[in-house]
Amino acid sequence: MDWEAIKKVTGILFDYLPNTLKLFTITLLFSIPVGMLVTMLKKCRFKPVAWLTNLYILIMRGTPLMLQIIAIYYAVPMLKANFASGSDGFFASFVNSIDTRSDSYMFTALCVAFVLNYAAYFAEIFRGGVDSIPKGQYEAASMLGMTKMQTFIRIILPQVTKRVVPATANEVITLVKDTSLANVIAYAEITMKAKQQMNTYSSIIPLFIAGLFYFVLNAIVTVIFSLIEKKFNYYK
Amino acid sequence: MAILEVKNIAKSFDGNQVLKDISFNVEQGQVVAIIGPSGSGKSTLLRCINQLEKADGGEICVDGTRMFYTDSERNKVVYASKQELRDIRLKIGLVFQNFNLFPHFNVMHNITEAPVHVLKKSKEDAEKQAMELLEKMGLTGKEKAYPCELSGGQQQRVSIARALALKPQILFFDEPTSALDPELTGEILKVIKELAKEKMTMVIVTHEMAFARDVANHVIFMDEGYIVEEGSPDELFGNTQNDRTKQFLARFKD
Ligand SMILES: Nc1ncnc2c1ncn2[C@@H]1O[C@H](COP(=O)(O)OP(=O)(O)OP(=O)(O)O)[C@@H](O)[C@H]1O
Ligand SMILES: [Mg+2]
Repeated sequence: MDWEAIKKVTGILFDYLPNTLKLFTITLLFSIPVGMLVTMLKKCRFKPVAWLTNLYILIMRGTPLMLQIIAIYYAVPMLKANFASGSDGFFASFVNSIDTRSDSYMFTALCVAFVLNYAAYFAEIFRGGVDSIPKGQYEAASMLGMTKMQTFIRIILPQVTKRVVPATANEVITLVKDTSLANVIAYAEITMKAKQQMNTYSSIIPLFIAGLFYFVLNAIVTVIFSLIEKKFNYYK
Repeated sequence: MAILEVKNIAKSFDGNQVLKDISFNVEQGQVVAIIGPSGSGKSTLLRCINQLEKADGGEICVDGTRMFYTDSERNKVVYASKQELRDIRLKIGLVFQNFNLFPHFNVMHNITEAPVHVLKKSKEDAEKQAMELLEKMGLTGKEKAYPCELSGGQQQRVSIARALALKPQILFFDEPTSALDPELTGEILKVIKELAKEKMTMVIVTHEMAFARDVANHVIFMDEGYIVEEGSPDELFGNTQNDRTKQFLARFKD
């Protein structure tokens, strides 16, 4: 590959970088709050809810994300095929109304898979954070007459946040790289495009360029998280 | 009328009966020292009085309000309403062995947190009061420091100030000096003496016999979940007739 070709490939990958970033951003934005919700469900005193939540986490962490993407992506078309023979009802008509060939369907399916998967990881990180706060903090707050809600919001949550920053950074770095798994259902992100260019030029250089993209993204993520960590350094 | 009445408290942890039958009263302005061997249930007793642990039986009244009693027909402990328990909680303060300060708040914020967010005082009033308390604790100038920047003795004094900020009627201490280096215990004992002079009602679990003798006007000796003996410091430390008390105290004689 000559210099011109390298520039051209880089330009093409740049054009598809937004698709990678879109998946990354939506996943991050949703999986963190969903993860918090999952942590709460896991701590639910009504045991069946806690068990179901544990099962969900077990499946999400115990099976490959790639498999989950494929399963979720093909679930709707499969259901549609089953419902085709004149079934009705709300669910069936809802499923039938989905255009599974559209780009928005593909993106939605990806987001669902990524958010469900990452929420499970974040939930475990947050649970570890909550469990690491000494019992004495709850007892001191309760001796001062603080309500459960006040204790959680004002005393526990800020300390948990500090403690989960490093583990969260790891997870976000992994997410940057995991967006490449979306190419398994032909989502047009940079790994997918790099593979196409590799075939066009019969060269693996496009893959190196794609690798560089991820590397730079993660350098940025690393810097941002070290700034966040610094912000929390004012105590302990 | 006694400000704290404790009657027939029993408590076990999975079959292990830690408190068997504990009854005593604390009068307004009294300084009570609770002594006894490790594992005798002193902390558990304080925790039951402070609602951090639920007793299995008995009755506790604080300042005339009944916190809980035992319904003998149903053999069940019945607690007061949530509101009453909250009111009682604000009347009593507890100083922990390992301070339990809030690490993410500075000294000032540790002290003003409850007055502002629980008592709904204005921030200015709470800070003014905190400055007075810090002066009393000999911590003027430390209000912006974080707990991790303080020595153990200073942290413990902040935690005493934090408890005092709610103006409790009774202040409980669970071995306030045993997490500290010996040379730092003096500053805590001095603060407690000051409070005793001001007629603050206090109940102090301690292993410092000299201190108990010096500052307390009533001493309770606990062993194996019972109160073995109680009385004035002179009675207990001077001429106890009880063999178990003698045996326990002998360990502290040099
Ligand atoms: N939460 C708990 N669960 C089970 N057992 C407990 C619990 N808390 C205390 N115990 C047991 O109760 C007994 C009395 O404990 P406690 O802490 O009240 O003793 P103590 O008199 O304060 O001792 P020390 O002087 O060492 O502080 C001990 O045998 C302890 O193991
Ligand atoms: Mg103890």
